Amino acid sequence: MIQETLLAVTERPPESPMVASRSDLAIETVDLVKVYGGETRAVDGITFGVAPGELFGFLGPNGAGKTTTIRILATLLRATSGTARVLGFDVATQPREVRKRLGLALQTPTLDAFSTGRETLELAGRLHRMPSAAVRRRADELLELMGLASVAGKLTGTYSGGMRRRLDLASALMHQPELLILDEPTEGLDPQSRTALWEELERINQAGTTMLLTTHYMEEADRLCSRLAIIDNGQIVVEASPGELKRSVGADTVVLQLDAPTGELDRQRAEVRGRLDGMVAPDAIADHPGGIALAVPNASAAIPALLRRLDGDGLRITGLQMRQPTLDDVFMKYTGRRIREEAADQPIVLGW
Amino acid sequence: MNVIGDFAYETYYLGLRTTRRFIRVPSNWISILFFPLIQLLVFSQLYQQIVDLPAFGGQSSYLAYLAPGQVVFTAFMAVAWSAYGLVVEYRNGYLDKLRASPIARWSILAGEMVPLFFQAAVMAGVVLLVSLLLGATIVTGVGGFLLILALSGVFGIALAGTSFIPALLTQSEQATSTFSLLMFPVVFMSTAFVPEALMPGWMQVLNRWNPITYLIEALRALMVTGYDWGAIGAALLSLAILGVILQGATLWAFQRLAR
Repeated sequence: MIQETLLAVTERPPESPMVASRSDLAIETVDLVKVYGGETRAVDGITFGVAPGELFGFLGPNGAGKTTTIRILATLLRATSGTARVLGFDVATQPREVRKRLGLALQTPTLDAFSTGRETLELAGRLHRMPSAAVRRRADELLELMGLASVAGKLTGTYSGGMRRRLDLASALMHQPELLILDEPTEGLDPQSRTALWEELERINQAGTTMLLTTHYMEEADRLCSRLAIIDNGQIVVEASPGELKRSVGADTVVLQLDAPTGELDRQRAEVRGRLDGMVAPDAIADHPGGIALAVPNASAAIPALLRRLDGDGLRITGLQMRQPTLDDVFMKYTGRRIREEAADQPIVLGW
Repeated sequence: MNVIGDFAYETYYLGLRTTRRFIRVPSNWISILFFPLIQLLVFSQLYQQIVDLPAFGGQSSYLAYLAPGQVVFTAFMAVAWSAYGLVVEYRNGYLDKLRASPIARWSILAGEMVPLFFQAAVMAGVVLLVSLLLGATIVTGVGGFLLILALSGVFGIALAGTSFIPALLTQSEQATSTFSLLMFPVVFMSTAFVPEALMPGWMQVLNRWNPITYLIEALRALMVTGYDWGAIGAALLSLAILGVILQGATLWAFQRLAR
């Protein structure tokens, strides 16, 4: 209960004289291009929009241009060409307005190791011009919410990876931003911390905060995002909901396990083929160890009808497995490559 | 809020953070104080007879001669590596987080620079107090003591560019540390250890252009002879020139990096 009121987007008075665009989109880019050093086209014509309340994801391998796009949206980098508006404000000409409203968490949690957790949050609140009482109250709330209350007085340099992530997220949430931009929010976390953070992000989104996140983890994109853009080589290859994307790859796979003594299996398989005649095309049925595999579009809807046909004497179905195409299959289909779930490359900077 | 008010507000909160960063790492102030204190304690004994040379002009003890130079050297040490934290935070991305906050770019730099006044003044104050304990005196009393701290602080800010310029231009911790070492001879070739009359001719020429010498002579006057406004004025002028050049270059380098 506390959490819901805490994270709810606060009622905002009509804004300053700065004029926002007519568009109602939280993020809107048109033909965004970033060229590094005159040749590397890190972002190569990205056009997309995120509606208020959405949890939008950029999925792509390292070096696809996700972080560059995020940095442009966060006013940290100038686009070579194209326009980007965040919450109605142009990132190039009204960066201050964008910065006031944006919550940002970068790929590696960027914390001052010599500040305590509480000091970190208080500074974030101060820089967003929150009054003293509100800073203290909000810091307390977020420390509690993120499970950091017991270490609030410790230097962040002593925090574990998961704690650093949570504090970084809390610091991005201090001023109750309308939009949260997260670059690889769970990079480098153990599975347990990752799941916990996912739950947190879902809660924040459900409470009304629009979110844009980048990830190269299929599972993360699938679980969290209401809509996804797959990015490769600086371009959006395809954009849709995870479900739509997976359906676009093709049919689901349904595997039926058959309980049959030796020699009997083939007879049961033939029986299945016969009963499904006219419902599942013959070339969509294949033998499977200990059973039979069917390629069925939208399997979860089709299964009751399938089972009605298969019901009755002569068949002993002991198991049923359904497998949807994964986002990995989606990525494969649209880019011709598999995404590698490797740690993000850190640029190597040669010292003197 | 107006621009000045905003700037002061942001500098205050960012300055509190950089001050914490300084205080919470003991090696910061240990490495600043170690050398000046060693020189004060060891050299004042090792070379105690050097004051008998006529060039010292009847100075009571070598410790009394040495103290102002070591106070200035402390302020020098306090800012010699002052941009190190900024480079680290540029590299680990913390600076990006500040840049994405609704604050002025210049506040970020001011949040680093303004605390240096206090760091240099406090560190110099420690060495000054130790030299008083060892027998040095300040003829101008408490007023002189405070003026020495203030001059040390101003010197700190003026000199900070020697760390910030290489830091901002190379974004490399190694380059920043190395460059600071290259600045040491500037202190050694000032009048910190011996009067100008004892220097070889070429060094005397260089010495006339060394702002550190003017500051040391002003401090020496405050400790030994009194309010010598000629010496104090010369020190302020040389600090102003040094500060304008180095801080100007720092602002340029910062803008270049922030763009």
